Amino acid sequence: MSSGSGLRSPLLWRLCARRRGVYAFGALLVIAAVALRLTVPTLLGEAIDELRSGLSSRSDNAYDDLVAIAWGMVGAAALGALFRTGSRLTILGNSRRVVHDLREELFAHLLRLPPSFYVRHRTGTVMSRCVNDVQNVQGLTGPVFLYLVETTILYVVGLTFMLWTNPLLTVVGVAPFPVFLWFARRLAARVQHVSRELQSQLGSVSAKLDESLTGQRVIRGLALEDRDRAAFEEEARIYRARALELANARSLLTPSMVFLGGLSSLLVLIVGGPMVSRGELEVGDLLKFFGYLAILAGPTGTLGFVLSSMQRGAAALERIDELMAMPVTIREAEGAEADRVKGGRLEVRGLDFAFPPIRSVPHLSDAEVDVDHPGAEHGREVLRDVSFTLEAGQTLGVVGATGAGKTTLIRALSRQLEIERGQVFVDGTDLCDLAFEELRQQVAVVPQDAFLFSRTLAENVAFGAPGSSTEVVNEAVRIAHLSQDLDALPHGLETLVGERGVQLSGGQRQRASIARAVLLEPAILLLDDALSAVDNETADRILLALEPLMKDRTTILVAHRVRTVARADHILVLDDGRVVESGGHSELLKRGGTYAAMWHKQEEGVA
Amino acid sequence: MTPPAGHGSRDQDSTARRLPRGYLLAQIWRFVRPHQRLLWFGLALLFLNVGARLGQPWLMKTAIDDFLLDEEQTGFVWLLVGYLGLAVVEWLGRRGQLLALERAGQSTLLDLRIEVFRHLQRLPMRFFDRTPVGRLVGRATTDIEALQELFSSGLVTVLGDIVFLAVAVGILVSLDLELALASLASVPVFLAATIFVRRFARKAYTELRTRLSQMNADLHEQVSGMEVVQLFGQEEQSAHRFSDSNQGLRSAQLRSVRWESVLSALTEMIASITTAVVLWVGGRSVLGLDGDEVLSIGTLYAFVDYMRQMFVPLTDLSLRYTVFQNGMIAGDRIFGLLKEEPESPDPAEPAVSEGAGVVEFDAVGFGYDPSRPVLSGFNLRVAPGERVALVGATGAGKSTVLNLLTRLYEIDSGAIRLDGADIREMARQDLRRRVGVVTQDVFLFSGSILDNIRLARPDTSDEEAIRAAEELGLGEIVKRFPNGYYEPVAERGRNLSAGERQLIAFARVLVAQPDVIALDEATSNVDAETESILQRALHRVMANRTSLVIAHRLATVREADRIVVIGGGEVLETGRHEDLVQAGGAYAELDRLR
Repeated sequence: MSSGSGLRSPLLWRLCARRRGVYAFGALLVIAAVALRLTVPTLLGEAIDELRSGLSSRSDNAYDDLVAIAWGMVGAAALGALFRTGSRLTILGNSRRVVHDLREELFAHLLRLPPSFYVRHRTGTVMSRCVNDVQNVQGLTGPVFLYLVETTILYVVGLTFMLWTNPLLTVVGVAPFPVFLWFARRLAARVQHVSRELQSQLGSVSAKLDESLTGQRVIRGLALEDRDRAAFEEEARIYRARALELANARSLLTPSMVFLGGLSSLLVLIVGGPMVSRGELEVGDLLKFFGYLAILAGPTGTLGFVLSSMQRGAAALERIDELMAMPVTIREAEGAEADRVKGGRLEVRGLDFAFPPIRSVPHLSDAEVDVDHPGAEHGREVLRDVSFTLEAGQTLGVVGATGAGKTTLIRALSRQLEIERGQVFVDGTDLCDLAFEELRQQVAVVPQDAFLFSRTLAENVAFGAPGSSTEVVNEAVRIAHLSQDLDALPHGLETLVGERGVQLSGGQRQRASIARAVLLEPAILLLDDALSAVDNETADRILLALEPLMKDRTTILVAHRVRTVARADHILVLDDGRVVESGGHSELLKRGGTYAAMWHKQEEGVA
Repeated sequence: MTPPAGHGSRDQDSTARRLPRGYLLAQIWRFVRPHQRLLWFGLALLFLNVGARLGQPWLMKTAIDDFLLDEEQTGFVWLLVGYLGLAVVEWLGRRGQLLALERAGQSTLLDLRIEVFRHLQRLPMRFFDRTPVGRLVGRATTDIEALQELFSSGLVTVLGDIVFLAVAVGILVSLDLELALASLASVPVFLAATIFVRRFARKAYTELRTRLSQMNADLHEQVSGMEVVQLFGQEEQSAHRFSDSNQGLRSAQLRSVRWESVLSALTEMIASITTAVVLWVGGRSVLGLDGDEVLSIGTLYAFVDYMRQMFVPLTDLSLRYTVFQNGMIAGDRIFGLLKEEPESPDPAEPAVSEGAGVVEFDAVGFGYDPSRPVLSGFNLRVAPGERVALVGATGAGKSTVLNLLTRLYEIDSGAIRLDGADIREMARQDLRRRVGVVTQDVFLFSGSILDNIRLARPDTSDEEAIRAAEELGLGEIVKRFPNGYYEPVAERGRNLSAGERQLIAFARVLVAQPDVIALDEATSNVDAETESILQRALHRVMANRTSLVIAHRLATVREADRIVVIGGGEVLETGRHEDLVQAGGAYAELDRLR
C-alpha cells in the first residue's frame, strides 16, 4: 500500500477543509510558541554577558539590567506556555472534531450498505476499519500534523536565531544532525516494526491461551496437556525474544539521541571555546548555542516516529476510503407513494437470483472468504425461475434441503437483495417501487438468526416501532407465546437481554424475534426457519398460537422440518433453486415425490 | 446437562481479593531471584549512567570559569576529552541498563507466564465453568504486561531517579546553599502543579477510554445486527444513537486534550521560570552585591543546567506511583489465580486398568452445584463391546455421565470403575487414553487437518493417519483443499463444515484406538449425503468398542444394543427401541415428541 494515495484522500481533504481556518490559526500559535521558547536561551546568554560586563566595568545598573532580563524570561516562559497550550488545544482538538465527522459519515454509509455487503464481510473486518484505522487517521490529523508543523517551524526559526548569533558555530553545531536524523529514521522504523511484531506475538500468545482454555475439555479428554503446554511455552518464548529485540532497538535510539545533544555541544565548545578566548565571541553567545541545540535535538529524535505514524495514517485512510467506496445498491424508488399495500397479495414472476463470485463484486481488500457462504468462490445460481401467487391472507410453506434457496427467497421478498431478473408484486405494486417506510412496516421478517440487541426485552420487541405502548408490546409478546416466560425473567419485559440476547434461551430469543415482527402488524409476514432453534413441542405450540394471526395476513413459512409447514394453504418444495413440487400437504404426500420422501424420513425416521 | 458457563461470576473481578503487599512482593521476588544477577548488573550500570549525567554540567562549569573567562589554556583539551568520555559512558550506561533490566524482566515474566499456564492446566473443570475464558486470558497477557511495566520502568528506575535527584541536590547545596534553596523552591510548586493537572488529565482519560469502548461495543453490535436494523427500517434511530455516543466521545476527547495541552507546556514553563530565579538570586552574588561571597559565572550556569536536568526525573517520579499501583493490582490477580486450589494429584502408585472395557457406575451421585444434584444413585454397567445409547430430556444428565467417566469432574458419592479399577485410583492420563471422547462441538487446534487427526498419538505416521481418515470417507472432503490433508485448519475450524469437523473427530478416535468411546452425537443440521457418511463413520468407530453414545438421531438409537433412558438423576428404563416403545413409558413419550 503506497502512502501517497492515502494522503490525497478526497474525504480527508473535505473534512479538513471545513476546518482549515482552525488549522491555520493553530499553525500561527505554533510559530509564536516556538519563537518564545527559543527566546529563553537567548535571554540567558544575554544575562551571562551582562554579568560579565558588569563584573569588568563595575557599573551599578548591571543588576537592574539583569533583573529586566529575568523578567523578560518569565514573560517569555508564561506567554510561550500559553501559546503552546493554545496550539495543542487548537490542532489536537480540531483533529478530534475531524475524526468525529469522519465517524459520523462512516456509520451513515454502513447503514446504507446492502445486506449482501454484510454477508460478504465479517464484522471484524468492518470494525477494524471503524476502530483501528480511524484511530490512525486521528493520529495523522492531530499529533502528526502538529509535530510536522512544529518541527519545521522549529528548524526555520531556530536556524535563524543561530545564524543571527554566529554562522560558523551554527554549521558546526548542526553538523551531526543529518547523520542522527538518518539513524533515528531507520531506528524508528525498526522500533515500530518490532513493536508491531511484538503486539502480534502477544496476540498469538493470547490466541494460544484462548484456544487451550476453550479446548480444555478436549485437551484433558485426549491427555494432551504436556504437548499443549509446550506449544504455549514456544509462543511465550518467541514473545520474550521479540520483546528483547524491541529493547535492543529502543536502547540504541534513546541514548543515541541524548548523545547527539552532547556531541553537538562538544563540537560547539571545541570551536567556540578558543573563539571566546581570543575575544571573537561573547561567552553568552556560546552558551546560547547550548540552549538552542538542546531544543532542536528533541524533535530530531522523534521525527522518525512521526514519519512512521504518517505512513500508518495514510494507509489507514486508504482503507477507510475503500470502505466508503463500497456501492450502495439498494435504494428507495424515487417518487414512491405511500399506502400501496392493502391485503398483501403477493405475486412472484420468474424470479432468478445468482450470487456473483465474491472476487467479482466490490469487496474490501482484506475480506475473508467464508466457505459457508453461498457463492464464496465461484458464484452460484440460487433461485431459478421461481413463480407463484399468494392471495391475501394465505399461508405458503417453503421446504427444501440446505442450500435449496429458501433463505434467498425470503431475502428477495423483503428487498434485502438486489432483484435482477424477475419481478415481485405486492397488491399489484412492484416491490421495488414501494417506499422504504411502507415496505419495512408491511413486510416483516423473522430471520433465521434471532439477533437481539443488548437492551431491554421490551425495547427489542418494539424495535421496529420505538415508543410503542406497553399494551402493544404485551400483545405482541402474548401472540409470540413469550408471556409465560416473563415471570421467570428477573425484570419481566424490562429485563436486559445481554449481548446478542445471551440472557435468554434459544427458544426465548426466537419468540422475541417473532414478537418483534408481529408488533408491526404487517400485511406480509416472512418466517425464515424461525422455529429451528426450539424443540418440537414448543414449535408446535407457537405455530398453533400464530395460526389466528396467520389467518389475517399473508404468511410465508420457511422450514427445515416438513412438519412445520404441514398446515399451510400451499407448499412449495425447492430444490437447487427451482420449484420442484407445489400443492397442499395431502396432495403432495399422495404424489409420493420429494415432499413425501422428506416427510417419511423426518417423521418416521427411515434413514 | 452442560454445566452453566460463567454464570454468577460477572463481578468477580471487582471483588478480587487483595493480597497482602508483603506476600505479593515475596511472590514476585520468588520469580525474580533466578535472574537476580542481571538485575544487579543493570543496577550497577544505572549508577554509572547517573554519575556520567551529573558530571557533565560540572565540566561545563569548569570550562566556563577556568578556560573561557580566564586566560588559562593548558588542559582545555583534557576537559574536552573528559566531556566526550562522560557522554560515551552515559550512552553505554543507558543502553546496557535498558538491556539488562529488560532481559531480567522478560525472563521473569516468561517463567511466570508458564507457571500460570501450568497452574491453569491443573485447576478442576469446575473452575472453568465459573470463570470466563476471556478473563483468564487477560491474566496471562494484560496483567503480566502491567507487571512488566513495573519491572522496566518501575522499581529500578525509581531508585535511579532518586539517586540522581539526591546527588544533584547535594552538589547544588555544596556550591551555594542560598541559591540552592531559592532554585529548589520551584520543585514543590512543580510537583503540586503536575500532580494537580495530571489528576484531571487522568480522570478525563479514564472517561475517554470508557466512552470509546462503549462506542465501539455499540458499533460492533450495530454492525452485527445490521440485518435487523435494515429489516425494521431503524437506520435513522441507529444513526441517532451512534451520533449520541460519538458526540459524547468527542466531548470526552476534547476535555482530555485540554489537560494534556496544559501538561505539555507546564514543565517547560516552570523550568524557564526557575532559570529566571537563578539569575535573580545568583546574579546578585556574581556581581558581589551580597558582599561576602562571590559566585562564579560558571557556577551560576551549572545551577541552570542542573535544575533543567532535574525536571525529567521529577516528572518520571510523579508517574511511577500509577505504574506501581497498576502493577500491584495485576499482581493481586495473577497471584490470586495461582492460589486457586488445583485438582487432587494423581495417586503415587496409580492403579493399572486393563481389559476389554467394562464400565461400571456404582450408585454415583453428582451435582455441578452440590446443592442441586444432577445424578443421584446412578447405576449402570456396560459390558465389553456393548453399544449403549443414552437418551433423556434436555438437562437430564446425559453429558454429565460422559464428563464423569473421563473424570473431568469428581463424583460426590459412589464409584466409577473401568475394568474393575476405580477411576480415582488411576492416573488421569491413563484413564483418558483408554476412554476416547467425542463432543458435539469438535475442537480443532491450529495445525493441519492431519495433525488434528493424530492429535492423541502425534507419532502416528502420515500413512496410518490418512488410512484412518480414508476409511471414514474424509478423502472426498479434503480433495477441495489445495494441500489436501496438509491444509491448515483455519481459526476454530472455520474452513470446515460441521459435518466435516465431526468426521475429523471420528478419525481421531480411529487413530487413538481407545477401548471405550464416549460420544455426544452432533445435532447440527447436515444435508442427506453428509448424514449418511456420518452414520457409516459412526458405525465404524463404534465397532468392537464399548460405547456410550448420547444419541440424537433415531438411526443411532435403533442400532444400539441397549437404550438407557435417564431422568431424575437415575436410570428410568433400559431396553431396545421396539420394546421400550411398546412399554409406553418415558421413552415412548420422548419418541413421540421427536
